[in-house]
Amino acid sequence: MLRLFIALAFSMIFSSNHLFAQQKDDSRIQYDELRRELTLLRMQFDSLRAVSQAGGGISEDGADALSERFEKRIRELENKIDAVSRSTASVVFNPRTTIFVNVAARADNNAVFNAAGIAKIDNRPFMRTVELDFRAPVDPYAEAVVILALEDEAGTGFAIDPEEAYGLIKRLPILETAPLGMKLKIGKFRAPLGVNNKLHMHDLPWTTRPLVISRFLGTEHGEFFESGFNPTGVDFDFFLPKFIPGATAEMNVDFLRAGELAFSEGAENKQPAYLAHLNLSWDWDNEHLLFLGGSGYLERGESPTSMMGFDLTYRWAPSERRTSRSFVAGGEVFIGKRTSVDTTGSEIVAKPYGWFAYTQYQLSYWLYIGARYDWLQEPTDETLTTKSLSAYASYYTTEFLRFRLGFESRQSDIPTQNNLNTIHFEVNFVFGSHPTEPYWVNR
Amino acid sequence: MKTLRILIALLSLGMSFHEISQAQKKIKVVTTLNYLKYVVQQVGGERVEVFALANPKQDPHYVTATPRMNQLATDAALFVENGLTLDPWAKNVVDASGNPGIQPGSAGHLVATINVPVKELPLEVSRAWGDIHPQGNPHVWLDPFNVKIIAENIAQRLNKLDGANAIYYSDRLEVFKERLDVAMFGAELMKTLGKKGGDILTRRVKNGELDEWLKARSMDTKLGGWMKDASKIKGTRIVSYHKTYVYFCDRFGIQVAGELEEKPGIPPPPQHRDAMVELVKRENISMILNDNFYSPDAAEYISSKTSAKVVVTYIEVGAAPEVDTYEKLMTYLVDKISEAVR
Repeated sequence: MLRLFIALAFSMIFSSNHLFAQQKDDSRIQYDELRRELTLLRMQFDSLRAVSQAGGGISEDGADALSERFEKRIRELENKIDAVSRSTASVVFNPRTTIFVNVAARADNNAVFNAAGIAKIDNRPFMRTVELDFRAPVDPYAEAVVILALEDEAGTGFAIDPEEAYGLIKRLPILETAPLGMKLKIGKFRAPLGVNNKLHMHDLPWTTRPLVISRFLGTEHGEFFESGFNPTGVDFDFFLPKFIPGATAEMNVDFLRAGELAFSEGAENKQPAYLAHLNLSWDWDNEHLLFLGGSGYLERGESPTSMMGFDLTYRWAPSERRTSRSFVAGGEVFIGKRTSVDTTGSEIVAKPYGWFAYTQYQLSYWLYIGARYDWLQEPTDETLTTKSLSAYASYYTTEFLRFRLGFESRQSDIPTQNNLNTIHFEVNFVFGSHPTEPYWVNR
Repeated sequence: MKTLRILIALLSLGMSFHEISQAQKKIKVVTTLNYLKYVVQQVGGERVEVFALANPKQDPHYVTATPRMNQLATDAALFVENGLTLDPWAKNVVDASGNPGIQPGSAGHLVATINVPVKELPLEVSRAWGDIHPQGNPHVWLDPFNVKIIAENIAQRLNKLDGANAIYYSDRLEVFKERLDVAMFGAELMKTLGKKGGDILTRRVKNGELDEWLKARSMDTKLGGWMKDASKIKGTRIVSYHKTYVYFCDRFGIQVAGELEEKPGIPPPPQHRDAMVELVKRENISMILNDNFYSPDAAEYISSKTSAKVVVTYIEVGAAPEVDTYEKLMTYLVDKISEAVR
């Protein structure tokens, strides 16, 4: 797998170098053409001066003043051409590229194993993910996003995974305007089941995902590593007519490949699975933002699986941020239902639920502190519960570099997770043309 | 035959009503910033309905695009952004609006500063230089000459979208430009020079020859407006928090000695703050301009160690009642600096 990644990386570097060289040549041609134009202008001006000296009606003083102004303008143009040729030529037509690197270390008071219970992951550092984010318009009708993740498989090696790869259709030649501002996303994407599932690991306000998201929605290697629900399918995103004064209602309706949700445990159910998410939001002068959402997921078949979710997020950031203060609070709850048949032919219905709540306060331009509480019934056995309280401090030099130190204390009916205290340390850096984040928690 | 005539008459009447209703239908315009909203209102008059997305008190670099904004843009006929990476969050709104008519490359999408001569084009684009703008300093609207270009861009786009009212937009554009010229040079001088006065004076100012030109024609006493008021502060050296006032200062002959931010977008580190104290002392700088949305801590620290005053300023139309028009915003800035110089 690693070889495949290296080969892919080499081919991308080679192709981008080739494109870069081609664009550099194009900008060189434009640059040379403009230089020729300036030379021509100079020649024209010199001939004008010659006419003037031969008694052509322009005074010498006037010609000098004109000359000075011409020269000044030429200098400005030259500077501009120079700067533009250096600054923007390399990005023409290339996808915007961003790389995210996330490194995290943990120190534990007990032994901790990966999800398979084989590899020890306590008291050591991990290069958790390297994400390569490419995005560009495909044509006037669509945009494409590809996010490749090189992920640590809980200390057993690395794997390359298309974290997201989708086309965003904005319009069609046969349908120039879509009703209700509808957008169509096709491919593999982080599904709108709640709010936090849509965030990538490097954007989370915590070092680890909430337990309920990693265990109910998706995890292969345990919650310390990348998790969540990112199936293949189609997402319709549209606005509903205003039915609550002051609120914006946005709806997602998805048709997804069934069996990819962790809670469905790979059941061979009917295709497709259905997902809907309604988000109500209030925005008061971009200072106070309130999001209230509800999700519903359904798989039908031999082992019918459904999930309901509710989410709440409140953010306050003063418009005149003279004191660099902001506040975020929120939480999500998920209630699952899965029906299966045991070896004796009797029907078993599992109805576990779990939730988390968090808050974050900004102390200065650089420093944020926060806390999160998790509680859940284990999806495989709802009689077992796990709860966890964590606190953290995040230090941002800028939005591109972050250090985070956190502490988590976990109590669980699962003996290997009970009385587990962990210190986390995380570094996250981002480089490239990082797009502006929607609903960014730290700006 | 009679029935046919009646049918033709009714059809003609219907078509006329349709044309009238099309001509009277307001164009929905969404702008990122509030100064753009003001300019669109001046050019579009009662033929447009304009909404600005950002809160005018906010730092325009960092606005959170929200579903309310996205939905507002869903049925907009025209989306106007400043560009020059000042309002990159506009892309989030345009993408999430689902409105094909305002996507980049469409007639309904306008980068208002497209042909404005920009300053400070970086020779090297790297994050090592902080939050730099690869296409140059984006705070172009603090020079009234640039706002005239922006108004022309907006008028052209409205003409394209609503050709039936092209004359209306062109007339309003001329009135707006004339009003800016009067505010810039004073009514008396503009009256003396006539209709082309604004263009002539603008050219003279751009070539740095206004004073000589006016003196040579004995018109220097007729100069009024912002140029006259700013002549009292010409040559003043100031320090600003961010590179916000480059265009404003260049236009009115004020010199920017430095910025509190060592690198754009990053709060000043202690060493740089102390270096600025030395600079302010050495060059006898009398004021520090601090945008209303930046922390005044660094400016107050420097002020406490020198004689420089901290002047907190608004840079957006509508950020406070005293700057609810572009003309008032410029008057406010000239007055604020003049007061601090006294």
